[in-house]
Amino acid sequence: MKDGSSEPTVFVVDDDPSFRRAVSRLLRAAGHQVRVFSSGSEFVESLPAPGPGCVVADLQMPGLSGLDLQAALAGSDNPLPVLFLTGHGDIPTSVHAMRLGAEDFLTKRASREALLDAVTRALARDARERAERTRVQEARARFDALTGRERGVLEHVLRGQLNKQIAADLGIHERTVKLHRTAITTKVGVQSVAELTQLWLEAFPKGQ
Amino acid sequence: MPRGPCAGPPARGHPVSWVTVVWSMAASACLTLAAVHLLVWSRRRAAWADLLFSLASAGTAAFAGCELWMMRSQTPEEYGMALRWLMAAAWLITVSLVGFARVYLRAGRLWLAWTVVGARSLTLLADFGSAPNAAYLEISSLRPVRFLGEAVSVAHGVPNPWMPFAQLGLLLWVVFLVDASLAAWRRGDRRRALVVGGSIIFLGATATIESVLVFREIIQAPFRVTPFYLALVLAMGYELSSDVLRAARLTDDLRGREQLITLAADAADLGLWVWTTPQDTVWGTEKLNPMLGFAPGELFSVKAFLTHLHPEDAEPTRQALLRALEEKSDYSTEYRVLLPDGRQRWIAARGRVETPARGGAVRMLGVCMDITARKQDEAEMLRLHADLAHTGRLSTMAQLASGLAHELNQPLGAILRNAEAAQLLLQSSAPDLEEIRAILADICKDDHRAGEVIDHMRALLKRRGLERVELDFAELVNEVLVLVQPDAGSRKVRLAVEVPATLPPVRGDRVHLQQVLLNLILNGIDAMSDVPAEQRRLVVRARQADARAVEVAIADSGRGVTAAKLERLFEPFFTTKPDGLGLGLPISASIIGAHGGRIWAESGPAGATFYFTVPLGGEA
Repeated sequence: MKDGSSEPTVFVVDDDPSFRRAVSRLLRAAGHQVRVFSSGSEFVESLPAPGPGCVVADLQMPGLSGLDLQAALAGSDNPLPVLFLTGHGDIPTSVHAMRLGAEDFLTKRASREALLDAVTRALARDARERAERTRVQEARARFDALTGRERGVLEHVLRGQLNKQIAADLGIHERTVKLHRTAITTKVGVQSVAELTQLWLEAFPKGQ
Repeated sequence: MPRGPCAGPPARGHPVSWVTVVWSMAASACLTLAAVHLLVWSRRRAAWADLLFSLASAGTAAFAGCELWMMRSQTPEEYGMALRWLMAAAWLITVSLVGFARVYLRAGRLWLAWTVVGARSLTLLADFGSAPNAAYLEISSLRPVRFLGEAVSVAHGVPNPWMPFAQLGLLLWVVFLVDASLAAWRRGDRRRALVVGGSIIFLGATATIESVLVFREIIQAPFRVTPFYLALVLAMGYELSSDVLRAARLTDDLRGREQLITLAADAADLGLWVWTTPQDTVWGTEKLNPMLGFAPGELFSVKAFLTHLHPEDAEPTRQALLRALEEKSDYSTEYRVLLPDGRQRWIAARGRVETPARGGAVRMLGVCMDITARKQDEAEMLRLHADLAHTGRLSTMAQLASGLAHELNQPLGAILRNAEAAQLLLQSSAPDLEEIRAILADICKDDHRAGEVIDHMRALLKRRGLERVELDFAELVNEVLVLVQPDAGSRKVRLAVEVPATLPPVRGDRVHLQQVLLNLILNGIDAMSDVPAEQRRLVVRARQADARAVEVAIADSGRGVTAAKLERLFEPFFTTKPDGLGLGLPISASIIGAHGGRIWAESGPAGATFYFTVPLGGEA
């Protein structure tokens, strides 16, 4: 998972070859690494390695439209931010796109600053979200080492129950509970129950 | 009046002269009836029965006078003269009764009628041609006979050989009357046949027999036929007067009906009018005058009426009235009336010329209706249609503009991005000139492309005639698809074109044909909005239908069109879309029609297909 730190790529998806070429030229000149696709489906099918980056897509394309592309991407394990370009900005579509989490929504003739800023913002967001995802995945990996029984004890501990209560609930000896707790802290690599709770919330922000 | 010597006022002790009283009364009664019915006829010239009856009555009065004269005659000469005039009166009675039977019973053989009239007239000629009359060659003596208590004169002499002929005429007369009455009876007119026919026959025949018997001196009595004729006249007079009563009742009925019609007309806000042309007066019901700007109850002339009309309508209305009068045709027109208070009302008028049967005044009857509200509605409708047509044009333009804006933003955006990229490249110390050259080439190309889009848009929006040229149909379709692609894409419609590479070129106007394709494709896309996205597919197919034309089909996969709607699709303002205007298909139909092609639609459960044909190229 170390490619998270590699050079981010801007994926340009547009069915108009001339515009596609022009945008990629500008982005390259601005120092970005660029890959181009002529349709939404071509992009989704040949989704590259889950590296960092963002997507600059035409909203209206034959076949898989910009919004479809965004939906497909959001469901994948590399949810890159999407920046939409449109020939004519119609409000209902843009509102819909923004609500689905589009990074930005620009007309095809938006200013260079607006375009490059939006790309920079999208890449920064991707980096931020990517770091967040990495942290969560690492935290989860630490909990993955626990056995089934240890997991059961952990749930009770996180609820703030005392060893005696846990033993009664699970129908095991109080000393066994203590052994499990020691195993949990050792495996996860924390010093205290407070540290353990914080790490759990990092790994599973909203419950399981 | 009796022309015989008057008996004078009866003195006490002297017997009353009943003969004088009765015969004078009979004569005056008949004269009165004659006068009354002559008056009736003079008022109503069509009432020939009244004239004939009047003549018969007058004849009877004269007959009575002559009879009295005969009874009071002192010399054979005087008797002969009286008898001559009596026969003239008899002629008048018989001939006018023949006419009366014809007119009143509407029966009787015409040839028989003329025969009777001829025979009677010959007798009349003989009467005045021979002395002393048609009955006698010579009256040798008078002798007194007692009648009603006094002595009256009876003649004795040599009978005239004409006499049997006169009696034959009378016989024929009776035969004619029997025949006419029977015909009327058989026709179902039994009352008249019985009262008039029956009494004429009975009394006429009796009077005839009586006179023959007296003449032949078979009975010793004076001529006294008057009572029979009087009874006859009274019977007919009774029947005629009941006709007058019936007419009066009819008049009452008519007046009631007229009131009813006026009431109905008022309730329906109609004004009825009668225009009597010679006097140029218009009479109208209560509603009419205010409708035309006249005071209630005022009789006005058409001339005055025309001055109340809108100046533009006065002359056409006058012409319409004159034409109706000339051609005796119906009159129907609409005009604006300018009321005294300055308001303007629309009136619809209908009328009919009534020509009297015989020379009376020509009248025109009609009705007027206030149609101002309807006219206002019509004006409103026209305005709405104009608005709709305008909106329709604007909406088509808006639809096109949306597609074209996208088309235009592509090359313009590309030009901008290329220029920006070049600017950035030029900032580096060693600019990649090869790349900059490629950028400039692309800029030129995109500029050209933008120009083409604008030209195309201008051509689409411009109103122009047909410019028929040879066209490659595949190219034509692709240019349209470029326009609808954004719309189709955002609505998840897959577009497909199936045009064989071997399709020969068509002949037509590029822009107009593209507008038809655009309309049909956009309709197809609209038709699929309520089917699942994966089923939305629109195919444009073309094939050579025959040696002269290419058939184009635009098939959608929507829910199809019901048979009832299918029939009306090409009617203007018919639409199945909530915000549609219903102009796309009629416009398409007129364009295809102008190309000499045909446009139609078919529909099934798997969607609707619109077809049209375009002539092949090469054909002039």
